[in-house]
Amino acid sequence: MSSKLIEVNGLTKVFRVGSLFSRVRLTAVDNVSFDIKDADIYTLAGESGSGKTTVSRIILGLLEASEGEILYKGKNIMNIKSEREKKEFRKDVQAIFQNPFETFNPLRTVENYLYETQKNFLGVDASDSIDGIEQALTAVGLTLDDVKEKYPSEFSGGQLQRISIARALITQPSLLIADEPVSMVDASLRMSIVNLFKELKDRYGLSVLYITHDLATAYYVSDKIAIMFRGNIVEKGSVEKVLDSPKHPYTKMLKESIAQPDPRDKWDSRVDLHLTEREEYMLKGCKFAGRCPHVMERCRTEEIPDFDIDGVTVKCLLYQ
Amino acid sequence: MSVLNTEGLKAYYIIDVLGEKRYVRAVDDVDLEIRENEIYGIAGESGCGKTTLIKTLFGMVEPPLNVMDGKVKYKMNAEYADIFAMDNKRMREIRWEYISYIPQGSMSVLNPVQKVRYSFEHFIKAHRRIRNKEEEFIKPVERHLQALGLPVQILDSYPHQLSGGMRQRVTVALATVLQPKIIIADEPTTALDVVMQRGVIQLLKDVQSSLKNTIIMVTHDMGIHANIADRIGIMYAGKMIEEASTEEIFGNPLHPYTQYLIGSLPKIGDKSYKTSAPGAPPSLINPPEGCRFYPRCDRATDECKAAIPKLVEIEPGHKAACFLYSGVKEDE
Repeated sequence: MSSKLIEVNGLTKVFRVGSLFSRVRLTAVDNVSFDIKDADIYTLAGESGSGKTTVSRIILGLLEASEGEILYKGKNIMNIKSEREKKEFRKDVQAIFQNPFETFNPLRTVENYLYETQKNFLGVDASDSIDGIEQALTAVGLTLDDVKEKYPSEFSGGQLQRISIARALITQPSLLIADEPVSMVDASLRMSIVNLFKELKDRYGLSVLYITHDLATAYYVSDKIAIMFRGNIVEKGSVEKVLDSPKHPYTKMLKESIAQPDPRDKWDSRVDLHLTEREEYMLKGCKFAGRCPHVMERCRTEEIPDFDIDGVTVKCLLYQ
Repeated sequence: MSVLNTEGLKAYYIIDVLGEKRYVRAVDDVDLEIRENEIYGIAGESGCGKTTLIKTLFGMVEPPLNVMDGKVKYKMNAEYADIFAMDNKRMREIRWEYISYIPQGSMSVLNPVQKVRYSFEHFIKAHRRIRNKEEEFIKPVERHLQALGLPVQILDSYPHQLSGGMRQRVTVALATVLQPKIIIADEPTTALDVVMQRGVIQLLKDVQSSLKNTIIMVTHDMGIHANIADRIGIMYAGKMIEEASTEEIFGNPLHPYTQYLIGSLPKIGDKSYKTSAPGAPPSLINPPEGCRFYPRCDRATDECKAAIPKLVEIEPGHKAACFLYSGVKEDE
């Protein structure tokens, strides 16, 4: 058994929305727990508004949690005070964002970012050594000549995303947090980025937290998956178990709603769409109760606990 | 029978860089024949010219976009009319009534400071003279919404009060309220969640089967094409490189680019290794001489570098532009 790299326990984030006089509490992330092991690709999947990005922002320290703890290599990172420890954590946990054209300043050459990361985290000046940068670029299939004196506009989205992964690798992190890293990348280049995560995992033992709405790439790349819905993790386990035979009614519906790229596998039933986002956040029991075909009276009133079944954790009273 | 044709259509963006003219060849010599009562999908990556193509089909050509050559013809009253020969007044008349357009960002169609009802009223008044508001406007619109399964109350909402998916469905309702012969949809599902995507696709299919009209659907999402399109055209770097029935495109792709595109699609239940095409799409300012795809193609020969393959029929109903299957060149 490999050890736990990061452990998220009971993470909760409450936002207050609305004007001064009609404040509404919106629980964007509700008691979320999961853990990522060494050399593991873990997917956090869900639709927009499910809270998946909020979780990643809390781990990165960009947002403060309302409740819960995050243990990184056994140490709670929520109450790190010293700058040195914070820097150490940021060096070990690197992020890749959705839009590579927003990651880079269009008026700066991209190589500058690589030099700057090396200087800030490793204290190595570009004039002394660029070995680390060259290694990071080789890992993503590029060379220094490819990026030298070039501006972001001279690259395609796929190439820029590769460069931003290379930048993240310079500090030799243990965990990459990738928030929708391929949704802005062209279809014909998308798999090359996804394959890169697999290679980095196999070759360097890197762990990846892959945040996406795209279950097809999630199935392809990841070991474990957690499905989020309106702030809750409704189902988690190995990606084959969760997606091949989903248990939670929401996961089932999500899987059926995907347009499979195969004309022999078209949708054969119809969907019914109602209930808006706001109302679902406000629901007391199961957030999916309004749309669930198996809904029981208890689902609307009780707090739903997690149930373990066949190695999968499901938040649904059907599996009590 | 075709309902919309293009012949040798070339639409370029002309950009003035320090007194020097540069041409972005977004649509480069495209021949299309869209049939009546079909859903025609146009697939391709970002920057391949698919949005420019449908803008040109809709007659939305404004500088810096210029039609350099070729024709777009609509079949109206059993005759084919060239839309670039029409004056603005005629174009305004047939837009929305004969051909309509569903854009990607639904917010840009609905007026954000007016109720949805106003958008419908504005739309219909521009085309029909309304004497009896109750009989000629309110009732038909309510019938139309009910037929599409949308709640009538949305007419009294402001666009910001509706969710993104509902707004997109209202846009579909608006674009079809005058029962057009042709509907052009530009990435109608892209910004939506999967469940809502399915809702919008279901709605478009319902509209098509009740009106028996033609939908031209642009999206990069091959899953959507597989589910809704009857025929698919694959665009690459401003050119149509393959066209066939949906079953043929997915089951028997001919062009090496299409083979890469179909072969790299991830599916749930399939963990086999998938690769992407090497390299990156070319710039449309300086596209490669010869076949646009040859720098990325592992089967390219000297012929591919020298001449551009023409889109010709290889098998019945299946066209491809590749020298592996035919020696026909584009004359340039």
